[in-house]
Amino acid sequence: MSTYSDASGAIMPLPKARRATGFGGVVPALAFVAIFFIAPVAVLLLRSVLEPVPGLGNYAQLIGSATYLKIFANTFIVSGLVTVISLLIGFPVAWALAIMPGRLTSVIFAILLLSMWTNLLARTYAWMVLLQRTGLINKMLIGMGLIDKPLALVNNLTGVTIGMTYIMLPFIILPLYGVIKKIDPSTLQAAALCGANRWQCLTRVLLPLAMPGMAAGALMVFVMSLGYFVTPSLLGGTANMMLAELIAQFVQSLVNWGMGGAAALVLLVVTLSLYAVQLRFVGNQNPGGR
Amino acid sequence: MKEPFLQIRGIRKEYGPVVAVHDVNLDVRRGEFLTFLGPSGSGKSTTLYILAGFETPTKGDITLEGKTLLATPSHKRNIGMVFQRYTLFPHLTVGENIAFPLKVRRKSKAEVDSKVKEMLRLVRLEGFEDRKPAQMSGGQQQRVALARALAYDPPVLLMDEPLSALDKKLREEIQHEIRRIHQQTEVTILYVTHDQEEALRLSDRIAVFSKGVIDQIGTGPELYANPRTRFVAEFIGDSDFISCDLLSSSDGQATISLGGGSVFNHIPVHGKGTSGTRAALMLRPERIRLSRAQAAGAGLAATVSDITFLGNNIHVSTETATGEALAVRLPFGHEAIAGLSRGDIVHLDFDPGAAHVFC
Amino acid sequence: MLLNFDRLGWWKYMLLTITVLTAAFLLLPIVFIAALSFGSSQWLIFPPPGWTFQWYSELFADPRWLESAWTSFKIAVIVTILSVLLGLVTSFGLVRGSFLFRDALKALFLTPMILPVVVLAVALYAFFLRIGLGGTLVGFVISHLVLALPFSILSISSALEGFDKSIEDAAVLCGASPLEAKIRVTLPAISHGLFSAAVFSFLTSWDEVVVAIFMSSPTLQTLPVKVWATLRQDLTPVVAAASTLLILLTIILMALVAVVRKVLKQ
Repeated sequence: MSTYSDASGAIMPLPKARRATGFGGVVPALAFVAIFFIAPVAVLLLRSVLEPVPGLGNYAQLIGSATYLKIFANTFIVSGLVTVISLLIGFPVAWALAIMPGRLTSVIFAILLLSMWTNLLARTYAWMVLLQRTGLINKMLIGMGLIDKPLALVNNLTGVTIGMTYIMLPFIILPLYGVIKKIDPSTLQAAALCGANRWQCLTRVLLPLAMPGMAAGALMVFVMSLGYFVTPSLLGGTANMMLAELIAQFVQSLVNWGMGGAAALVLLVVTLSLYAVQLRFVGNQNPGGR
Repeated sequence: MKEPFLQIRGIRKEYGPVVAVHDVNLDVRRGEFLTFLGPSGSGKSTTLYILAGFETPTKGDITLEGKTLLATPSHKRNIGMVFQRYTLFPHLTVGENIAFPLKVRRKSKAEVDSKVKEMLRLVRLEGFEDRKPAQMSGGQQQRVALARALAYDPPVLLMDEPLSALDKKLREEIQHEIRRIHQQTEVTILYVTHDQEEALRLSDRIAVFSKGVIDQIGTGPELYANPRTRFVAEFIGDSDFISCDLLSSSDGQATISLGGGSVFNHIPVHGKGTSGTRAALMLRPERIRLSRAQAAGAGLAATVSDITFLGNNIHVSTETATGEALAVRLPFGHEAIAGLSRGDIVHLDFDPGAAHVFC
Repeated sequence: MLLNFDRLGWWKYMLLTITVLTAAFLLLPIVFIAALSFGSSQWLIFPPPGWTFQWYSELFADPRWLESAWTSFKIAVIVTILSVLLGLVTSFGLVRGSFLFRDALKALFLTPMILPVVVLAVALYAFFLRIGLGGTLVGFVISHLVLALPFSILSISSALEGFDKSIEDAAVLCGASPLEAKIRVTLPAISHGLFSAAVFSFLTSWDEVVVAIFMSSPTLQTLPVKVWATLRQDLTPVVAAASTLLILLTIILMALVAVVRKVLKQ
């Protein structure tokens, strides 16, 4: 912006000194990002249509093979499950946080932030141990008499889903909390006065008002889950691969850059499309805001 | 002829198609308090920023004590400035703020310390050296800003509406301070404001800005008694305007006729007008004579539309036969007021020498 | 009424229960690992039969663990310095500049934050292989810098936007050159943004796994890679010890950030 308002509200152009630092400042970062981000990614994607021979052969292979399709399916299903479960748990928690008394809120927040910022490997490792056959979870379930034999909770997609939900929960709760906090309580009070009972208030007023926040959070979690590498690889075991690990395998183990690039492009396209959808339809809404 | 202190010549500033300053010419005398007065967008702030070095003019020059200023970057111009917004350095104490320009000039510690004390005494904030800006009120912050701007004895101090963020009472208090400091330090001050009362209270001379040019420069009384453009007449003090017919104009004096046939001679005239055209007659409300007597000589008939008591003045709103509104100000106890009420017909006239015609 | 905690009736207890359970769920693994790191069972039986410091001494005695930690630290420090410097210069351009595509450019700079890291990791891996920087410190630093820079730009831009430029102008009129004014007046005023940028950049690099997996070589490994490689083989409690130390680091840094931000903002 190159104008400001003076005391009487007129729009004044900013004096020249304020415009002098312009493009020069961003040049170093721009060059850096162009060379070490845009170029390498572009090259990778190009290789998907150039190796081993020019054409869409790699993509045909991806779509044609049952194995690869299963991996795509697994990835989408797990991501979808994680998103839904996170939403189901996250919404009540965000709601509670938005209206609870202050001291309890601070404690929960601290736990949320600690969980988010703690090393990913440490957290994933914890689940690897917890979900073992001889792990704590199984022990507790057997001890409580709910099951006879230990469940296979890890080295499969169940473990991945549990682990990913754990990781993603804060990413749903925090933005949702922000959205609910901004809703004017009088809106809900008005609904009650109009005669709506609690359930009706929830489904007809609160949920719709929180919907943009839920959609945004859900989209973010879904996209993140699609591309996640660490947790699915460790908790899923070698037989249950997800998309990110597939890309890694193409490149590291099989040194097949064409296929690796193709799978990466698929992931990238899906990611960017979902973001575009979000920008278009969800955007930055402030429902019933104060 | 004394060498001019600060000369502003032919300054023009364009922002693309927008011309913020058309042609500003000004001679500032050493030690005077000169105000740039005008509405927003009139070019007064832009001119000030050109002086400070934050803008470069499209055309024109500025010389200070004979040397051109435009080639010097802002930080070497040695000019002091107090901004509209509070611009104290938030991470430094009051004392460190004032010391800043001196430290930048590599002055010795002893010099810095003594100057800081002197400045704090000047703005009457002794003992505030270790406070942080966040702990001080708006008025106090601006006083520190003033102390900081004067710490390095600049030849010129620029002030860009420094009091507009303060409430009325505080504003008057600090206006008083500024005037006192001006007398004590004898620094040349260029002050920008849109508040004519503030300008009249503070300045030696006022330059009235309108649409990128200076309409008129003069002392308060000069501008009030002899405005040279309609804009200046309207901007400074209250004014009444009556449309009239210009009968003749020569040597700066005009003969006009008001509706109803009254003719007035020897009225100071401004602007070029040919006989037979319409013009505007300007009168100050307190220079209009109001009487109940009918048509005793040249003048104008009007109907009283409202009477307001304002303490030592009575404000009588009237309306002429042609529908123009004229306000008349009479001292309390004036003979014409007794028994005056809405709807009464009164006779208005004036001394030609106190009026002005604008073409 | 739904947004008033006391008026919810029995729903209040349901919400509270879900929240407390979720908080416990989030906290459980972290506490569990810390407890486990002191347990004497090699097979991570919980509750452990005894308590011991053995895993920690194994951790500190193993030169490969210490080396990887040192490598991580070196890289993180260099990345932090470069990220803050580059972020600072870029933020000035983005916040103060007025040129075409400025908003698009800001979005571009933030993109590495939202794209799947594996794509970036693989792309950079190929790129560095080609120019011979694979498995080198330089390669690591550059890759981590790409990931850390968006955080830096976000933090510093935000602080800079909240800073009134007139204050910097006042410094210039006081006699400071534009550069001097920025260093003496603006930088101290946005120091909380610089600090946030530093912490985020450090953590981004320190915790980074995916890119590191591809960048690493047998002679150059970061701590996360060592953990990853170890986990692929077995679940030794030494990893629990390492994890606990990492958790401790997070807690300390979080507390530090909270304290410093409060102090600097005054």
